[in-house]
Amino acid sequence: MNRLLRSSAVTWAVGYVLVGIAALAAFAVSLWYAWTVTIGESRADLLRDDEQRMSEVFRREGAAGLADFIEARIAMRIPGERILLFTDASFQRLAGNVDAWPAGLGESTRPDAIEIRFDGHSIPVVLVHATLPGGYHLLVGRDNTRFLPLERRFSSSLAVAVLFLALFGVGGGILIRRELLAKVDNIRQTVAAIMQGNLSHRLPVRRSADELDTLSQTINGMLDHIEHLIRGISGVSNSIAHDLRTPLAELRSRLEMLSLTRPSPAETFAEVEGAVADVDRVIGVFNALLRLAEIDTGSRRSGFVRVDAAAVAAEMVEFYEPAAELKGIAVSCRSSGPTPVAGDPVLLAQALSNLIDNALKFGAPAGRINVTVGTRVDGTVEIVVADNGPGISAADRPNATERFFRGDASRGTPGVGLGLSIVDAVARLHGGSLELLDNEPGLRAVVLLPAAPALLAPDRDPTAANAGTAPASKTRSAA
Amino acid sequence: MKVLLVEDNERVAGFVVKGLNEAGHSVDHAANGRDGLFLSASERYDVIVMDRMLPGNIDGLAIIETLRKTGNRTPILILSALADVDERIKGLRAGGDDYLTKPFAFGELLARLDALARRTEGGGGEQRSLQVGDLRMDLLSRRVTRGTRAIPLQPREFKLLEYLMRHENQVVTRTMLLEAVWDYNFDPQTNVVDVHISKLRQKIEGETETPLVRTVRNAGYMMCVHE
Repeated sequence: MNRLLRSSAVTWAVGYVLVGIAALAAFAVSLWYAWTVTIGESRADLLRDDEQRMSEVFRREGAAGLADFIEARIAMRIPGERILLFTDASFQRLAGNVDAWPAGLGESTRPDAIEIRFDGHSIPVVLVHATLPGGYHLLVGRDNTRFLPLERRFSSSLAVAVLFLALFGVGGGILIRRELLAKVDNIRQTVAAIMQGNLSHRLPVRRSADELDTLSQTINGMLDHIEHLIRGISGVSNSIAHDLRTPLAELRSRLEMLSLTRPSPAETFAEVEGAVADVDRVIGVFNALLRLAEIDTGSRRSGFVRVDAAAVAAEMVEFYEPAAELKGIAVSCRSSGPTPVAGDPVLLAQALSNLIDNALKFGAPAGRINVTVGTRVDGTVEIVVADNGPGISAADRPNATERFFRGDASRGTPGVGLGLSIVDAVARLHGGSLELLDNEPGLRAVVLLPAAPALLAPDRDPTAANAGTAPASKTRSAA
Repeated sequence: MKVLLVEDNERVAGFVVKGLNEAGHSVDHAANGRDGLFLSASERYDVIVMDRMLPGNIDGLAIIETLRKTGNRTPILILSALADVDERIKGLRAGGDDYLTKPFAFGELLARLDALARRTEGGGGEQRSLQVGDLRMDLLSRRVTRGTRAIPLQPREFKLLEYLMRHENQVVTRTMLLEAVWDYNFDPQTNVVDVHISKLRQKIEGETETPLVRTVRNAGYMMCVHE
């Protein structure tokens, strides 16, 4: 019961019932008022008309005439008929169907509603009375009893209406509560299961798209994201351990050999340099991981500005061109005019750098790399980096963005297996995605970014984005 | 040059002091914020190396802010394990002139300190042209000549050469070039910068001409006239 009272559905139902009763009461009161005023008044008018007519008879035919008139009327015994009494100055009955002049009549001409004794029992009546010339008194009234059933019916139907309202309200409240509680309970149970560690649970979503379903969808989206992150983390700790073990093992044996064999200084220095290179590899992994962590927190989103993706791509292609040329690879960059997106220029540049770097590493020797920036029909900006190398096999493609993933093609090449993870993270930070497709042959990496909202601050001071630059960076505009 | 090193990690400090001494610089070392603030405010240094996180109540950024408020304009290089872009920006806003993340290569630190110290020496007055040996760069007409030979350059090559010429006789590292010439502060895995340099060299160093750009092992490049 306690739980029932605490339920928000019941609180609402009770509230609605109370509001309904209040509305009904207001309706009844106004109806009652109209009843008493209009019907009561027209009844009083009728009585007054009667009284006028009888005064007329009195004036024309005298007291005896009026007494005869009244007796004749009474004799007709019309149902719901008038109550009539005609007395002399000392209230002695001359004619009429009431025995005695009733006590408690007001002085005014307004009709009085009182109870009088009539035919042996007390009944409610409405009376008008008048004093005629010569001190005679006239009383004209009407029996009110015949309105009683009507009034009773009115109040009883009002009571029934209130009862129905209350019943339906409470019943509806309980039904709504049961329905709502069932759904909320469902959500609670699923979330509880997830808290136990089973991340694959999802909330059931029906097609009705009501508020709870929308909520469930949002929660499911959140769960997808959490699951992705958790998977990433657990996968990463394994991979870090694995990926760092190789350079660390090399480093260890190098140093151990040094202390065991104590070679000539020249050889020693060569080994030491090799050791520094090993450490640099480890540091490289850590830097990439830190960068990923920084991106994943989403804190960089606060620094988003309007960036021209086409310009970023063009600069990056220009940057890589000589290196590609050296490998005999042709790089081209095509774009259909400026393509503004809301983003972090440094991260977008890094994502492009990683993609082109990958294409250079894994693309075909003497092949080509095509970078295209364009806008789709729906406004989505698409950055494509396509090569004609061996590509990534269809089986490996879904895993290619996982941290430390290294496909068969990358065996024996330098790199830590975080490049595509970073691109993927950057795309997701921008509300977009990374798609890896078959370029037949080769890899076709597509970064999709939502178009920039119209109102966004223009590019921030480039030196702020690239803090720590030496003085000559101020001359950027000279380029 | 005279360097102040504010760094609490003894091994890092010992390594930096030794390296700087060997490069011919004199170094004062403060191991906590209080000593660092005292030394930096009372002595004159050519450049200060400031660790961000220091024991005691005073951290590196607080010292820098205090110095800048009192009008001390000594160039400061911030040394920090915090690599986030936001942290970088925070450090530079506080008044730092350059930011280097740990772990770092000593060559990188030395090159950056050199650049910082000379920046204050050389300053003043807009230069209209640069000259290294018989290589001349006109900054207004953007023409580059070697002797009588005109050298056509792409805008980015011009920028790269300008940076090298402005830092004549100084070591510039690949990261410095990346940041200054391309505005990138991440590390492309391939040796892209080296390729750009060798392309530039082909243009400015003809077969019969003396080389001007020297590769400095474990550090980067230096533009100088060979004797």
